[in-house]
Amino acid sequence: MNVPVPSATGPEIVTQESLLLGAAERIDRIRQGRLAIHVHLSRLRPQNRQDGHIRIALRMLEPMINAYRGQMFLLGNSDVVFMLKDPNLTDVENMVFKLRALFSKDPLTFVDKGDGRDNFCTWFDLGVTSDYEAFVGMSRTVTEEARQRSRDKAKARVELPPIDPTGLGEVMEALAAIDVSGMIRRQAAIVIDGTSAEVLFQEFYIAMAELQKALAADMNLLGNRWLFQHLSQTLDLRVLSALQDMALRKRPNMFSLNLNIASVLSKQFDDFEKSESTRSALSVEFQVLDVLADSRGYYAARERLREVGHQVVLDGLNELTLQFMDVTQFDADLYKVTWSPEMGEGEHGDITAAAMAPLGMEKILLARCDSESAIQWGLNQGIQRFQGRYVDAMLAAYTMAGCNKSSACTLGQCIARHGVVAGPMRSECGNNDMLDSSPSMRMPKPRRTPEATA
Amino acid sequence: MIPPRDERPVSPQQKAIAQRLVGQETLLLEYVHKLEKHRRGRRAVQVRLSGLQPINRREHHIRIAVNTFETLVKQLKGQIFSLSNADLVFIFKEAVLDEVEAAIVKLRFLFSDDPMLLDEGANGKPAFADWFLLERDYETLLQLAQRVATEEQQRRTNEFAKGFSKQMARPVSRGDPLTPQMLGKLEEHLARADLANMMRRQAVCAIVGGSPPQPVFHELFISIADLRETLLPNVNLASSPWLFQQLTETLDRRVLSLLNKHDDRTVAGDVSINLNVQTLLSPEFLTFDDNIKASMRGTIVLELQKVDVFADLGAFLFARDFAHDRGYRICIDGVNVESLPFVDRERLGLDLVKIVWDPLMVEGILPNGSTLSSYIDRCGPSRAILCRCDNQQAVDCGQGVGITLFQGRHVEAMLAAETQKSKGVLTRRR
Repeated sequence: MNVPVPSATGPEIVTQESLLLGAAERIDRIRQGRLAIHVHLSRLRPQNRQDGHIRIALRMLEPMINAYRGQMFLLGNSDVVFMLKDPNLTDVENMVFKLRALFSKDPLTFVDKGDGRDNFCTWFDLGVTSDYEAFVGMSRTVTEEARQRSRDKAKARVELPPIDPTGLGEVMEALAAIDVSGMIRRQAAIVIDGTSAEVLFQEFYIAMAELQKALAADMNLLGNRWLFQHLSQTLDLRVLSALQDMALRKRPNMFSLNLNIASVLSKQFDDFEKSESTRSALSVEFQVLDVLADSRGYYAARERLREVGHQVVLDGLNELTLQFMDVTQFDADLYKVTWSPEMGEGEHGDITAAAMAPLGMEKILLARCDSESAIQWGLNQGIQRFQGRYVDAMLAAYTMAGCNKSSACTLGQCIARHGVVAGPMRSECGNNDMLDSSPSMRMPKPRRTPEATA
Repeated sequence: MIPPRDERPVSPQQKAIAQRLVGQETLLLEYVHKLEKHRRGRRAVQVRLSGLQPINRREHHIRIAVNTFETLVKQLKGQIFSLSNADLVFIFKEAVLDEVEAAIVKLRFLFSDDPMLLDEGANGKPAFADWFLLERDYETLLQLAQRVATEEQQRRTNEFAKGFSKQMARPVSRGDPLTPQMLGKLEEHLARADLANMMRRQAVCAIVGGSPPQPVFHELFISIADLRETLLPNVNLASSPWLFQQLTETLDRRVLSLLNKHDDRTVAGDVSINLNVQTLLSPEFLTFDDNIKASMRGTIVLELQKVDVFADLGAFLFARDFAHDRGYRICIDGVNVESLPFVDRERLGLDLVKIVWDPLMVEGILPNGSTLSSYIDRCGPSRAILCRCDNQQAVDCGQGVGITLFQGRHVEAMLAAETQKSKGVLTRRR
């Protein structure tokens, strides 16, 4: 393979793209029997096209490139283009099949756009003039794009390096000295019952972007999962303390908090519980990862919470966890499933819905609903509990409709002010009572899609 | 210490299991009995390794000490017994007295820095080595053998009972908690240090019925205990699960680079290595993969930690498919009796599940109320490994629920005893 210059700074004179274009033009007169394939890895979800994934994809293709005197190019956008001479087509098809299978968990390989086109890769039979011209055209386009990218790169923000143990030590020291209450955010979840919707709980959490800005301008706090987990244990305790001092006009009916299992057994949790005992109910959200790391602690925490009537929530479930684990084993009171647009896609959505069924739809909360179609899909499955940006907008719109000061605000402002619990943004609101109220909303009758009613 | 009320009474059945175990102490007693009529021309020496500082009587020290007598044992000139208190008893023919004395000198030299050898004999302290002339001292040796056998039996019965109440107390933390700063320094050090001498291998064995253990593959790893002893003796490395996870990942990457660097054919197949999902997709792993003959990949097991698997299922599934495509086998590591219900081997497409032995398993019940044996049934008996088996109870319990693969200190001891037994057969044949 032609060795790329990975993210070299300064203008790149020779790019993989320009090498590809050169190669494409050179073979003009000897293109009989040649095949080129453009694998659109750039269309994968970002989490599925990290360095490791691309490295493995190239490794899978290598033997074939060697066998058929081929050339392979890794483009700057992660796409891979390769050319082969007189290949055995069955071989090539098998290899592409294998590669596609490797990415089978990504929508790119399973979502059918309905146009009959293969979104994963494009084949060019270079012996055919129209294919060859299309191939050269594609090479020109990507070369131009690469040039544009390298020009933009100078302006682009540099990616922060992941946090390391020494950096974590510094962050934890700094954390002890700052006030976190300004970084606390809240988001409501609703339960829709027939034609009305009520606020189920308000979730309180730390805004990571704010924390990042205040504590670690030069490294990515989320860049190392284990070190972040360690930090989050300390964060829990700080948030629990800060919440007790929070000045709200009206406490929510139910608090929901993201906590580490160990935090539930802390003094800070006991104190928080005592301070809220007469005012609000409590819901605690755990991560699957934490439960696996300390299952014994999870059982103990679950018992401890249920004994006093608190709710136990399993957070962060998605299509994959639902399919590859027996989630009922967690025996939680509520399961938070992250919405993704692919859930609306025929067969894939059906699989996800089927995987949810054993949990009981009344125990599912669809989270990160950022569109009406998310809510629509959920309602069609029998889900009643929702959270996300779309829900935020619904609540803000409802608040504004009943607010005497609303003529001075935009919907965006109202949404943002709902999200904070202190600071200037909250004081800009002319009616904090409305901001802290949990309105009961009237819902339109759910529109049923033809397939769902059929 | 656990308060007495927490200790559950030992049932007669449990006592029977504990007593069935054959330790080196029992073998010693039997052997001394056999020698009753063959005292002439035989001598014995007791080497008091138990008097050494704990840091000087770790597993590998004992192994080295036992090996000192290896040649004589091979020549059938004597029998060595390695007691569980670390003491050695070597019974030998008079003809090799010089060689045995030489061996003792070697051992004295080996441990010459230890306080025991520095004040040996002072103020009536016991000697490093005690000699027996069987014609004259047979009764004394017999008493010694009887005493250690009784003590050992007692110890095992107690340990067994204690196992049950262990869950009451969280593991006692030893030393100061590990801080991020310490971890940072440790990682810096690890990047430079040569860890080759801390690399260990431990066998995963098939044990079916009463037949001797058959090694199936060997796990390669860096000994955390040695690392702690050498670099941070007063720190409890496991005080934070997440910092510990970060540390083990660093170590796993170091093992991989050691294997890539040393062309010593350590990876001649039938081994397992610990990896994390991201490392499996790294250039270092691809180098490792390049160095392995294709035919051998099927015998290599890649062990992934349970938290790593569940931290990002998407990444795990991708890495799993790639590893399977190359022919490797995948094992999920660190599953305990509490997390077992969450690990569905078949759904996750794993080849093996490594379960950490816990005396609680004797009860046979999982936290979700189902039985351990039904889990093993579903998992497939040849697909579950019971690891950290420290005693025979672990193996008995595992076999009771259908497990056939075992790993741990006790399994190592069984393997060693087996080697010894086969030497015994040779003696008789002669």
